[in-house]
Amino acid sequence: MFKKIVKHFGPEWGAAVMGTAAISITMQLSSEVARPFSALLYVGLGFYLLAIVMFLTFLVPWTLRFFWYPEEIKENLQHPVRANFFPTMPISLILAGTGTNKLGPMLFGPWLAYHLSIAFFFLGAIGIFTFGLILVRMQFLSITLRPHHANFTWFIPPVSHLIIPVLGACCMDVYWAESALAPFLFMISMIALGAGFINFLFVGALVWQRYIHHAIPEGRLAPTSMVGIAPTAIVVIFIIKFIQAVEASHGNLFGISFMSVFPVLKITASVLWGFSFWWLIVVAVLFVHYITIKDHPLSFGWWGYTFPLEAVTVSTGLLAKCVATQLLHPLLIGLNALVVIVWIVVVFATVKWLVSGAFFEAEH
Amino acid sequence: MKIHSILISLVIVLSPFIVGVALFSVRASGRIPVKAHLSGDAATQSESLTHEELELNWSFYPGWEYKPLLTHAEEYLVFVFHYMNHSDYPVYLMPTYTLTSPPNRRYAANEEIAMYIEDAVENQLKLKDETPVNFEVPAHGTRHYIVTFEKPRPLSKFDVYVDVFRDVTWCLRYEKQNGTWVNWTNTVVRKYKGRG
Repeated sequence: MFKKIVKHFGPEWGAAVMGTAAISITMQLSSEVARPFSALLYVGLGFYLLAIVMFLTFLVPWTLRFFWYPEEIKENLQHPVRANFFPTMPISLILAGTGTNKLGPMLFGPWLAYHLSIAFFFLGAIGIFTFGLILVRMQFLSITLRPHHANFTWFIPPVSHLIIPVLGACCMDVYWAESALAPFLFMISMIALGAGFINFLFVGALVWQRYIHHAIPEGRLAPTSMVGIAPTAIVVIFIIKFIQAVEASHGNLFGISFMSVFPVLKITASVLWGFSFWWLIVVAVLFVHYITIKDHPLSFGWWGYTFPLEAVTVSTGLLAKCVATQLLHPLLIGLNALVVIVWIVVVFATVKWLVSGAFFEAEH
Repeated sequence: MKIHSILISLVIVLSPFIVGVALFSVRASGRIPVKAHLSGDAATQSESLTHEELELNWSFYPGWEYKPLLTHAEEYLVFVFHYMNHSDYPVYLMPTYTLTSPPNRRYAANEEIAMYIEDAVENQLKLKDETPVNFEVPAHGTRHYIVTFEKPRPLSKFDVYVDVFRDVTWCLRYEKQNGTWVNWTNTVVRKYKGRG
């Protein structure tokens, strides 16, 4: 039975860890809004622990599959949708690192938390860069990929790169600021940011073209439209964390004075957040369309609704630290409630999907 | 949906909430304490710092203890800064805080620990901490900000820099004299502005 599970354990399971881990951060940010929400910090800790348990549980079959079933892996890597989910497991490492950085000091003090975060950073970055290069090679060399195959899962590799500098900035904030590791964290983060952001623009154009000139994807892929929210939301998260990292380095990072560009960074973050929020409404419009045509089947892909929504919630909470606090704080609480509702629905749906036996079908 | 599927789903979705509420209750009950050792410094502090109609006052807790859930308690240096705006217009602040101590140690404030202890500090001082990094101090109003530093060891002398303005930084100087922290002087330091 275990071998059968390993065989069918697709690359997409990291999405469930991502969708759970990020709630720890939405909860932590919501707990700061007002005294009545203080307990949410501890609920966030509960989500962090659950995400760690899920990550360790999923990591075993996910890793064994590479050794026991390399043919399945090769086949998945050629798939225009499934291939893009390979970076979700390294993304989970980065999210685990971010959770450890924020909530770990509550469990085992700052020293251990910050050292674990740095280990998660390097492991996650290695995984993300590796899968990113494998995927771009596959896409460039593929002779079967067509413009109508473009879909929002293609955003996952750019998103994976964009998330590296988020943890990089978290690590540069406070503990690793001005340490010998800081230049490495900075440069790795900048490489990832450059690769992720430019790739997002290129891939975004391809997907946009497909949505306009070809039929939109079938209902099974409806949740992937949510992924469009993530890139700009994550850049917002990075910008605000970067501002905090620069503050921890007294305004100067490697001789570059950043204090004078803070206002520009805040405006840029607001503009990018605006795109993510607008895209959330676009997703709602598409969701209504799929429901109207009764083409929104139960699938594991529903996890696609979780992480991007959480990313926009985190970006709202962080942006509220810098601009329009009175407007964004209530929005943060509202989005955090929505995040929990969506997550609960998706967990119930996943268990139902598993019990239905769909997990063992070739194409799920 | 079958009953066992519902039960499995319920266990998963309820677990983070049950763990969270349990941990919150344990912390709130005082079994894992967040201790505050009030120092005399806050009371004996002789002067505040003023620059361009903005006055800075502060309370200092040299031995605030925070115990993580799984490891031993550690002490932190906690400052509560009080910003008073004496002008007729609101001002918008985005302060940063740095602790320096010999030999060549320079720490930024630890926002995670500050986040964990802010309720206890707010209760003790009967004030409300500002959450945003940027905040407004209304005309003739006061705003408070809790800042936590990890405590370097050994520590007999340290400076805290409060960076609010473009051209100057406030510097608070502390030294241990006869086992007590003494705020021996406070200065306004001009900033070096490179070309970046």
